[in-house]
Amino acid sequence: MTDPVYFIAIPLLTAFLLPLFGKIYKPLIGIIPGLVFAFTAYISFDLYFNLEPGKPVIVQMAGWAPPWGINLVFGEFSGLIVSLITFLAFLVWVYSYNFKKVGFDNSKKYFTLLMLMVAGSIGVVLTGDIFNMFVFLEITAISSYGLTAFYKGRDSAEAAFKFLLIGSLSSTFILLAILLLYKQTGTLNMAEIAIKSQAIDPKIKSIIAILFFVGFGIEAEMFPLNGWVPDAYSQAPGPVAASFASILAKSGIYALIRVFYTVLDVEGIFNLLLTAGLLTIIFAEFTAMRQTRLRRMLAYSSIGQMGLIMVAFSFNTKAGVFAGLFLMFNHAVIKTLLFLASGFLTYSTKQKKIRDLDGFGKIMPFTSLMFGLGAFAIVGLPPFSGFWGKLNMLTATADSNLYLVIALILVVAVVEIIYYFKVIGRLYFRERHEDVNIQKPTWNAVLAMSILALVIIGVGLYPDFITDYLAKATNELFDKAGYIKHVLPSLSLN
Amino acid sequence: MSSLVILILIIAGFALLSYFGHSINKTAGNIAVFAAAVLIPLYWFTRVDFSETVSFTISGFQMELGYNMYGKLFSLIVMILSPLALIYALGYMKDSKRTGTFYFSFLFSILGMTGILMSRDFISLFIFWEIMTWSSYLLVIFLGKDVEKTGIRYMVFSALGAYAMFMAIVIIHRNTGSMMLNDYFNAFGNFSTGTKFLTGILLMFGFALKSAVMPVHVWAPGAYSNTPMAYTSVFSGALSKMGVYGLGFVVINLFAHANLHFAGTILAWLGAVTAVLATFSAIFQDDAKKLLAYSSIAQLGYIVTGIGIGTELSIFAGLYLAVLHAAFKGVLFMAAGAVERQAGSTDMTEVTGLIRKMPLTFFASLVAIIALAGVPPLGGFVGKWMLYESLINNGNFLMVIMIFLSSTAAFLYSYKFLFGLFLGQEEPEFENVKEASPLMTIPMLLLSVFLMITGSFPGIVFKYIAEGMTDLGFHDVNWQMSVLTNAWGDSVNLQHVTLSIGVVFVVFLIFLTWKGYKKTYYVSTKDISSSGEVIKPEDNMTYSTDFYKPFERVLHPILKRKIEKYYDEFGEGIGALFDFMRRIYTGNGQTYAFYVIVFLVILLVFSKNIFGY
Repeated sequence: MTDPVYFIAIPLLTAFLLPLFGKIYKPLIGIIPGLVFAFTAYISFDLYFNLEPGKPVIVQMAGWAPPWGINLVFGEFSGLIVSLITFLAFLVWVYSYNFKKVGFDNSKKYFTLLMLMVAGSIGVVLTGDIFNMFVFLEITAISSYGLTAFYKGRDSAEAAFKFLLIGSLSSTFILLAILLLYKQTGTLNMAEIAIKSQAIDPKIKSIIAILFFVGFGIEAEMFPLNGWVPDAYSQAPGPVAASFASILAKSGIYALIRVFYTVLDVEGIFNLLLTAGLLTIIFAEFTAMRQTRLRRMLAYSSIGQMGLIMVAFSFNTKAGVFAGLFLMFNHAVIKTLLFLASGFLTYSTKQKKIRDLDGFGKIMPFTSLMFGLGAFAIVGLPPFSGFWGKLNMLTATADSNLYLVIALILVVAVVEIIYYFKVIGRLYFRERHEDVNIQKPTWNAVLAMSILALVIIGVGLYPDFITDYLAKATNELFDKAGYIKHVLPSLSLN
Repeated sequence: MSSLVILILIIAGFALLSYFGHSINKTAGNIAVFAAAVLIPLYWFTRVDFSETVSFTISGFQMELGYNMYGKLFSLIVMILSPLALIYALGYMKDSKRTGTFYFSFLFSILGMTGILMSRDFISLFIFWEIMTWSSYLLVIFLGKDVEKTGIRYMVFSALGAYAMFMAIVIIHRNTGSMMLNDYFNAFGNFSTGTKFLTGILLMFGFALKSAVMPVHVWAPGAYSNTPMAYTSVFSGALSKMGVYGLGFVVINLFAHANLHFAGTILAWLGAVTAVLATFSAIFQDDAKKLLAYSSIAQLGYIVTGIGIGTELSIFAGLYLAVLHAAFKGVLFMAAGAVERQAGSTDMTEVTGLIRKMPLTFFASLVAIIALAGVPPLGGFVGKWMLYESLINNGNFLMVIMIFLSSTAAFLYSYKFLFGLFLGQEEPEFENVKEASPLMTIPMLLLSVFLMITGSFPGIVFKYIAEGMTDLGFHDVNWQMSVLTNAWGDSVNLQHVTLSIGVVFVVFLIFLTWKGYKKTYYVSTKDISSSGEVIKPEDNMTYSTDFYKPFERVLHPILKRKIEKYYDEFGEGIGALFDFMRRIYTGNGQTYAFYVIVFLVILLVFSKNIFGY
């Protein structure tokens, strides 16, 4: 059996060794990250598919048994997310393998930062130690700031600064929460905190919960904490925006769920999450409607999707978690496709405006088709995977008797349809402007986008490809006692 | 594999084949389309097993496909009209670009409709419904006209309708734990009043929207007239009938089961109002396509009225009108398309005098117009007869007056359509117009032959309707091949009617020929004298602008309040709200940090309320 430590250790190590490889032979800078991502994707799938039901793989770092040492937990829930992250990281690499515009020197930085971000995100998902989670979150965040500022322009520097500003607030709050938690329980191990958290004074517990909520909420793009998102998504390179949506945001929401489902025992937080999620959806989608730039529109739409995911998780029911995981899967796959396609669509337009894309369907048929497919899928039209996510989401909402929420989600979905179909209308049914330069997608980008498209169509036609795994992950998340029992065999939840 | 699944796969396969065929070259693509037009109905008529059901479970939801007789009736419309329209399209789209996309979307919308009619559970119904929606959207914006306005309007309204259904579906699932249509109908009686209303009204809204009932019809005029005419014939003829199909089972199964007849009555009233107002709007259109679009809305109004009343006879009449409407509106949109293609425009103030240039198109239009107007000896008469009778029987005299008003006013636009395009003066501008290609005329003529047959033998349609109605709970519906009866004991043999009209027609023709044969000489339309003035060829003697000006003046107060305006204003208001919301994202880092702090402080202040310790 492979050791889950590799997920973190190998990308982390190669990230720092990459400049050395570059000294030896330049093209290695492009190749090595691919090998690393392929390897992590391979071992995570291998580990995930060979997982014994109800028995997570637990690794103790440096031989210290929990609660003293740091441990990694690769279960059905965390394993699913890690597999998703590594798979998408690999596709992002395939897409950006020969990044022509930037040259080798820059691609060295790009891949170093990307690998750090992936390693950090995997760490957040796998770790069983709350402080360790904070450390990984910092790794992810700092590499993301770097990636945002990648183009070194005025705008990207500004975007990165905003991200840094908000991100450091997030770190502060999380750290404060961890400090308080440590003061109260005397441990940093998540399983042990889970046992001891029942005894914490409810006043202090509520403060801890709020600090975590705001801190992780920033990473998970919650309203009104998501001011950094539109700038970061639109200024970063296309594949980076894709990995923000599919990797960074996913680790944020994972942390949020893990803390509130497993570690802390606070009921009231779910109503708060519902409210925040609904506000996120409303503000993000309505703002997306008025955007004139493609990437900003996608960024707001991404926030809206994250809001929907939060709403799904706020029901605190199995149906809700199942729907939330389905939505996470959809968002990761579809948004990645949309960002990757938009990377080439706006490649040679100066202002990246939507109206510059008139008639691109004819001159960039493949990329436009991919964008169109992504748009159809994200608004939830059958027979694409987005539909099943939305269906499960709405049945879960109905099961929680929240009829008004259904109406609201559907009204917002109409708004979503409007702005995506406006873009499709321009791509396909408008005459193109005279002087347009285009950048033909490279073969590896075509490959990456095709794989994503196949996943979307495949899951759309036959969602049972993934529903089993999602159901297992849901069960594991609700099995708090099982989690504690596996991590700390000596202790148990009374 | 089940024949139903194979049918779906065949249609999807042909959609892909036509797309890729067209990306190779036109001939290959056209062969694929022609094969689709022949083989799909062939398979449906010969191989599909209507008693078969296919059950499967996807993502934990049980789904089932299978025909019932009610669905089969509507499938008949789809399977006859769409292949004819596909063949017509081969001629109509000959010189267009991107034909691959066109046929792909066309066949996918056929797939959607076929699927809807064989769905026995809400999930597959919804999936096929959405496939139908997006494929038809792609066709509405196909020509690139008004993409922002018409296209988005169509998509928004379709989405509203579909999502209303979606909401109903999940609520039903919550209450019954099942997605099957039958489980819903059976459980409906036990629902709480609120759930009854909520699900019933949401479903009705979704279906009524597709059948363009006022006040949610605003997408229809633009969508019908902007779409390539080859598809509009299906759009108006078959796709709008999916709404009628749904209304049928909602109204009958639910409101009858749970004694909610008044909801049906409201629907009937909406249908009647739609019929009247849309007819008035149709009268004042100068574009033949717009005229037909409004006329479609009006005709759907009759059908919805018939369904809404909910008695055996009214539903029978509604379904019969639905079948006929598919045929005659199919012909008329095809004819408008033929004129558009051959003469370059469908503006009735410009195009004129095409009767000698396009006699076959004229003949088909004439037959269709007679059927539309509901005059004997064609089939439309039969439908109107039954509808009036059912309304009178039910005591809805005001509704009778409205329908009567609307059918009478329909003569005005019928005449305008025929006169504007085909009669009137021949202009030199249109001297070189030729008859459309046989690919276009043959489908039109076939449909007109069908219309003529239904005039004397409506029974060929009655048979399927009566079968279909058994699934709505009306058994042993009486019908006869060519005899109409009514509740008061009168009966009319339609063959006699046809025969007498035919004899009069033939005698008149013989008389004309015999009387006028020797003196025949050809006159051009401007070979006339008027008070000593000589008419020059360029003078316009056609009275085709402001056709019904006095009438328009009278009706102006009613028609000036366009509901579109209110929707547009609403849209603008929402837009302003969105703009306001957008301001929250100021683009200023400090503001964002400030939001974070404020949010944290608010949560801390209200932590007691949130966590309730």
